[in-house]
Amino acid sequence: MKRRTFYFSESLETTAAWLMGAIWLMPVLYAFWSAFHPAEYSTHLVLSAPLTLENFYRAWEQAPFVRYFLNTFLLVTIILIAQYILCTLAAYSFARFEFRGKSIIFSIILLQLMIMPEVLLVENYQTIGKLGLSDTITAIGLPYMASAFGIFLLRQTFKTIPTELVEAARVEGVSSVGILLKVYIPLARPTYIAYGLVSISYHWNNFLWPLVITNSVESRPLTVGLAIFGAPESGVDWSIITAATVMTMTPLLAAFLLFQRQFVQSFMRSGIK
Amino acid sequence: MSKLFVKHLSKSWGDTEVLHDISFNCKQGSLLVLLGPSGCGKSTTLRLIAGLEDPSQGSIMMDEKEITHLVPGKRGIAMVFQNYALFPHLSVVENILFGLKARKIKKDEQQKRLKYAASVLGLSDLLDRRPSQLSGGQRQRVALGRAIVYQSSICLMDEPLSNLDAKLRQEMRQEIRSLQQRLGITMIYVTHDQTEAMTMADQIILMKDGEIEQIGTPEELYKTPATAYSGNFIGTPPMNILRPDQKILSAFESRKMDQELLSKIEKQCLIGVRPEHIQLDETGIPATINTIEYLGSETLIACQIENQPILFTTPNKLNMAPGGAIKIGWGVKNLHVFDAKSGKRDDSVYHQLLN
Repeated sequence: MKRRTFYFSESLETTAAWLMGAIWLMPVLYAFWSAFHPAEYSTHLVLSAPLTLENFYRAWEQAPFVRYFLNTFLLVTIILIAQYILCTLAAYSFARFEFRGKSIIFSIILLQLMIMPEVLLVENYQTIGKLGLSDTITAIGLPYMASAFGIFLLRQTFKTIPTELVEAARVEGVSSVGILLKVYIPLARPTYIAYGLVSISYHWNNFLWPLVITNSVESRPLTVGLAIFGAPESGVDWSIITAATVMTMTPLLAAFLLFQRQFVQSFMRSGIK
Repeated sequence: MSKLFVKHLSKSWGDTEVLHDISFNCKQGSLLVLLGPSGCGKSTTLRLIAGLEDPSQGSIMMDEKEITHLVPGKRGIAMVFQNYALFPHLSVVENILFGLKARKIKKDEQQKRLKYAASVLGLSDLLDRRPSQLSGGQRQRVALGRAIVYQSSICLMDEPLSNLDAKLRQEMRQEIRSLQQRLGITMIYVTHDQTEAMTMADQIILMKDGEIEQIGTPEELYKTPATAYSGNFIGTPPMNILRPDQKILSAFESRKMDQELLSKIEKQCLIGVRPEHIQLDETGIPATINTIEYLGSETLIACQIENQPILFTTPNKLNMAPGGAIKIGWGVKNLHVFDAKSGKRDDSVYHQLLN
C-alpha cells in the first residue's frame, strides 16, 4: 500500500515536471518554427514546409541589429564589471571589518532588495536627467551597479571563508587588500560565476527601464530594438519578428547550453536557486 | 639566550579576563609547550604572540625588540594552524610559497627553499596536487613546509596534531620534534594532550583558567608537580589525589609517625600518589575493586578505599572480579603532599614524613 502511494506521487511529480517544461518550451519551439519557414507556414504547421533563412535576412536589414547587439553587449559588460567591483568592496567591508553604523547600513541595503526597480522608474529618470546622462548606455546601467543582491550574496559567501585562512595570510604578511585579492575572491569564484550569470541574463532581457531612458539607435539595447521592431504600427509579420527574436536570444541560449554544467554546479555551490 | 619574553600579559574580552598576568620566556632553539584544558588561555596566549589579537596589558619582546603591537606580518613569525589553513585553490607549491611571494623574495631563492623544504618533509612527489587530494598527514606536512620556508625566527603551532588519528599523531609528533631539533627552530606549541607535551617539550607551561600553574621540564612536571592540579593533569593514568582520612593515614601509623604531624596532614593536606607507584600489598590498606582493564603489558585497576576512588596499574594480570577485596600500599617516598586549601605543593610536610 505504502509503495503504491510512493509510486503515485513520484509519477505525478514527473508528469508535472514534463508538463511545465513543455509549456515553457512551446513558444520557443514556435519561434524557431516560424523563423525558419516562409511566412505562409507561420501558423500552418506542416512537416514538409520548406526551410528558409529569408526571414533572418529581412529582419537583419530592416533594423540596426548589429548596433543593438553591440549596445546590449556593452551594457551587460559595463554593468557586470561595475557590479563586481562595487559589490566586492562593499561585501568585503561588511564581512570583515567593524565600523560604526555597520548594521544600519547593511539593513538599508537589505531593504533595497525588497523594492521592485519599476517603482523607482520616475525617480531614476529624474536623477539621470539631472546628471545629463539620459539616452546613454551608462544611464541604463547606472541604477543597477550597486546591486543589493550582489552585496548580500558576496557578503554571505565571504562570511563562510574560514578565519584561519585569513589569519594564515595575515601571519604571512599579506595586507587587507592582498587578502581580498588572494584569499576571498579566488575562494568565492563559484559565487562570482553564478552571480555573473544571473546579472547577464537579467540585463540582457531587461526591458522597461531601457525603454524609458533610451530614444536613439546609439543607446538602445536588443530588447527595446526588438519591441520597436515588432510594434503593431510597423506591421505584424510573425516570421520576421520570430526571426529577430531567435537572433536576440541565441547568444544567451547558446551560452547556457555550452556552460550548462558549470551553471548548475556554481548555483549549487553558492546556494542560489 | 632567550628568544622571546612575555611579560605580565593580560587579555580581556569585555568584562571577562581570559588571561591574567602571564610571564615566561622561551630559549633560542627550544620547544616550548603551552599545555592545558580547553579554555585555559593557551591558544589566546599563542594568538597574542602571533599578533592576531591585541593584549589588554603587558608586553612581548622578541630578540630584544618590542613586538607587542606590531602587525602579524612584521613579527617574523611562522604559524601552523589546527586545520592547517591551506588555501584550497592553490597547489602544494603555491601554498608553500604563498608567504614568500607576498614578501617579494627572489624567485631563485624561493625555489631553493622550496626544494629544501620538500626534501626535508618528503613532499617532492606531491608538489602539483591540491590540498583536497592530500591525506591529513600530508596536509600537515605542507603546513609545516609553509612555516619552514619562511625561515622565521620563531614557529608557532596551534594544536597541529589534533585532527589526525592516533597512529599518525605519534608519527608526526616524532617527526616534528626531530625536525625542530635538526633545523634548530624555536617553537611554541599549543596542545591539550599531555602525552604530546611530555614527549616533545624542552619546557612545558601548564595553564589553568588563564593563569600559569607550573613551568618546568617534562621531568620536573612529572616528579615534582607544583600543585595538585598539575599532578593530576600530567601522566596517564592521572595521579590520584586523596583526602587523607583515618583509613589512609593508618598506612603511615605502622611507621610510628608523630601524632601531631598526622593530625596536621589530616586537616590541612591532600596527598597525591601516581598509579604506577601503587602496588598490591598484603600489609596495605584494604580496598574494593570497581573495574579491571587488562591492557596486555599492564593491568589498570580502579578501586576505592571507603568512598575515595583510586586508580593503579600492576604489571601482572589480576584474576579477580569487580567487587573483590584487595590490599594496596605505596612507598612514602613516592608521595606528594599538597596544601588542601591552595592546592600548592608542601615539601616541608613531605620531608617530615620521610624522617
